[in-house]
Amino acid sequence: MLLHLGAAHLATERQTNTVWARLTARSRLLCVLLLVFAIALTPNGRWWTWATYGGAIALLILVSRVPCLPLLKRVAVELIFVGVVLIGTLFRQGGDVLFHWGWIQITTEGVTVLGSVTLKAFLSLLTVNILILTTPITALLHALAELKTPPLLVAIFSSMYRYIYVLIDEFNSMQRAARSRNLMSDPRRQRTVIGNMIGSLFIRTYERGDRVHQAMLARGYSGLPPLADLTKSSSLDVAALTFTAVILLIGQAIYL
Amino acid sequence: MFAISSLFQPQLALHIPDGFLSLPVILVTWILAIALIGISLQRVQATYQERAVPLMGVCAAFIFAAQMINFPIPGGTSGHLLGGTLAGALLGPWAGSLVMAVVFVVQTLLFQDGGLTVLGANIVNMGLIGTFGGYYLYKVIRSVLGQDSLRGVLVGAAIAAWMSVFVSAIVCAIQLAISGTVPLAVAISAMAFWHFMIGIGEAIITVAALSYIWRTRPDMFHRPPRHAIADKSRSYSAR
Repeated sequence: MLLHLGAAHLATERQTNTVWARLTARSRLLCVLLLVFAIALTPNGRWWTWATYGGAIALLILVSRVPCLPLLKRVAVELIFVGVVLIGTLFRQGGDVLFHWGWIQITTEGVTVLGSVTLKAFLSLLTVNILILTTPITALLHALAELKTPPLLVAIFSSMYRYIYVLIDEFNSMQRAARSRNLMSDPRRQRTVIGNMIGSLFIRTYERGDRVHQAMLARGYSGLPPLADLTKSSSLDVAALTFTAVILLIGQAIYL
Repeated sequence: MFAISSLFQPQLALHIPDGFLSLPVILVTWILAIALIGISLQRVQATYQERAVPLMGVCAAFIFAAQMINFPIPGGTSGHLLGGTLAGALLGPWAGSLVMAVVFVVQTLLFQDGGLTVLGANIVNMGLIGTFGGYYLYKVIRSVLGQDSLRGVLVGAAIAAWMSVFVSAIVCAIQLAISGTVPLAVAISAMAFWHFMIGIGEAIITVAALSYIWRTRPDMFHRPPRHAIADKSRSYSAR
């Protein structure tokens, strides 16, 4: 989890002169959403469909000039989390038995499911990470608002995003204080201390919320934060969305 | 089956990644999740009015931060809080599940914890079942054992916290099995085994946090005890 946090700042050092960066955040988000849903909803065993989508993603990596090392690092970390769950998919009934040892048996069906699910998870992670590494969070939240997400919800998202790091810092300093007073030595007391810390942080958080509200009122807040103007979509955006849709249809048409 | 179930690490099991669920499961859970978010948005706006944005924002950030702290679970491993029942007991069912849903959306969108397509399922498992179910179980136990007693709150919270984790895990296992990703027996045994222990950790931390708040600021509970309403204006910290 902590590894994810560091990478969230990476979008700031993005490339700005690529075709991908010239698209509005809204069309980037739409393209990625379409692609991820298509990848994840393709039934197991359709290898050529994923090969097509994989080609599209490779093209996207080239076009967006996303930094490859951070991308691979993030995907690798997330895939390790996924990998352990995946092993359970191997041991299922159905199809021909490939391997047999005691009550453990590996069948063709198990291998198909394992391969398909791994590939789906990998391609989806790759796609979403390209978006995150090339698009600033604020632009992404703005794109969500443009895509008719309730404004109240988007306002809550952005207010939450603003305070995540503040609260994590506060938690870390509380933990450091507890450790420097030797309170974290035995597991039993550690649980009580962490429980107290969470309780105390909730009280502080709630009061912080009230103070933030007062500060917002003092600056003329009246219900919802003002939204920036809608970004204009160019012909490039239309082309990108059309291209994505065509790729998706070609991928699905292979098995018709 | 024990060999397989011990391969599952506790931390990752509840956030389903992309590609694990089939179309029908995804559709049903998305509809449920959108309904939950829509209704709770309305209720929260009606209750908190223009305080909704800053308050829900910081509370969601709080749950996010609290989920990052690892603590030792009895039995040797370590786990982290999910916080559904804690949010429900402090903020009430609607605000609590809205906060949890916001946490999952932000985790998925910005930190890739759990997949985009299965976001609906993750919200249903931990927001609807974990928070909403957890809150009402806590409420029933609290009203049976005494609305104004610490014992009622703590027993209710402990049972609700454990149940919310365990039931969400079982539902998650069933969703994986319906989608044809993992056989039902493997999924249930692995999930039940780990989340039995994780639920105990969740219950301990929830109880510790709630009893701390009860001692210092009992008025912060959703439906505070009667003695707390009288002296409400104490401030815990001037920050």
